[in-house]
Amino acid sequence: MQTNDDKEPRQQPEAGSEPTRIDPRLLEILVCPLTKTTLEYDAARQELISRAARLAYPIRDGIPIMLPEEARPLEDEAIAR
Amino acid sequence: MSPTLIFDRTLIRRRLARAARHDPSLFLLDYVVEDLLERLTFIKRDFTTAADIGTPAPTLAHRLAAQKDHCPVVWMNPVMPRPRERKDERILEIVGDLERLPFGEACFDLVVSVLSLQYANDLPGALIQIRRSLRPDGLFLGCLAGGQTLQELRACLVAAETEISGGISPRVAPFADVRDMGGLLQRAGFALPVADSESLCVRYAHFFDLVADLRRMGAANSLTERSRKPASRRLFLRAAELYAERYSDPDGRIRATFDLIFIAGWVPHESQQKPLRPGSAQVSLTQVLPDKTANL
Repeated sequence: MQTNDDKEPRQQPEAGSEPTRIDPRLLEILVCPLTKTTLEYDAARQELISRAARLAYPIRDGIPIMLPEEARPLEDEAIAR
Repeated sequence: MSPTLIFDRTLIRRRLARAARHDPSLFLLDYVVEDLLERLTFIKRDFTTAADIGTPAPTLAHRLAAQKDHCPVVWMNPVMPRPRERKDERILEIVGDLERLPFGEACFDLVVSVLSLQYANDLPGALIQIRRSLRPDGLFLGCLAGGQTLQELRACLVAAETEISGGISPRVAPFADVRDMGGLLQRAGFALPVADSESLCVRYAHFFDLVADLRRMGAANSLTERSRKPASRRLFLRAAELYAERYSDPDGRIRATFDLIFIAGWVPHESQQKPLRPGSAQVSLTQVLPDKTANL
């Protein structure tokens, strides 16, 4: 399955199954690891958004990935919205 | 980022992830988890929110969650979880880096961490972040590999590399000394800091079993200054010879030291005991101690 040992595996929700949602208790304690500011939860995209760091941290299978290297950089218009 | 980073943390994550995917070696981790849980039983306190920061397997989080008062437990996995792993409802799993904790202030009243802080480039910074994630009177209890860990391996690799290439490159990580840990905890703002160490001797049939086991712990060389040239087979064969000469038991098995440092500290709170201010004594020592000068 894994062809390259040195790559961190990305996980995909299984087809047909309901994607696991993030536990609401986590939303209360998590902050941006770079700026320590509050995060916004984007339920549709399954992301935690840090406006201060201009990063969107992914939530994969209900598990927030709080690594800046794995986060999606935000465009200016997305921040202005 | 500071230019003098000791550890390549991205590489450490890859090594740990690879170990977790294949056949991880967990005996050391399991040993430390049992020791840490035993230490926790001596603390007469009900913890309501606990977090396990960076322990490279869910063992400790599971065990804490099984004790009713710790339900639920946040587990900060240092690596990406494997797909379709069995989920435990009582464990709130996230992925994060212990040098950049993603927790707000005063979230937990217990934070634990096993065998992960030895990889911190900025240990005081990591401890400060842990302290800030704790409530007043919250407890941090952790264990990291320290000082004399893998001293035999370090000595043999240095000797072999000097013989073969006339110089050395860093191959075994520098580890914190137990004598520094109390001061580090205090500097990070912890009260009542405690640090003690325990030396564990593990015996292997052969040098290459030790090396394979370290890989299965995700503990292969992750130093920023590591040599980028692949290590020659000759180097490891010579190191294996030296290891067998210097550190084998009569039955031929070789010894490897794991130096485990256990650390504990509390977030300051009014209720904790404190030393009195100098000069605040109400009774003179001469009133309670016999006056020896009278006999002179």
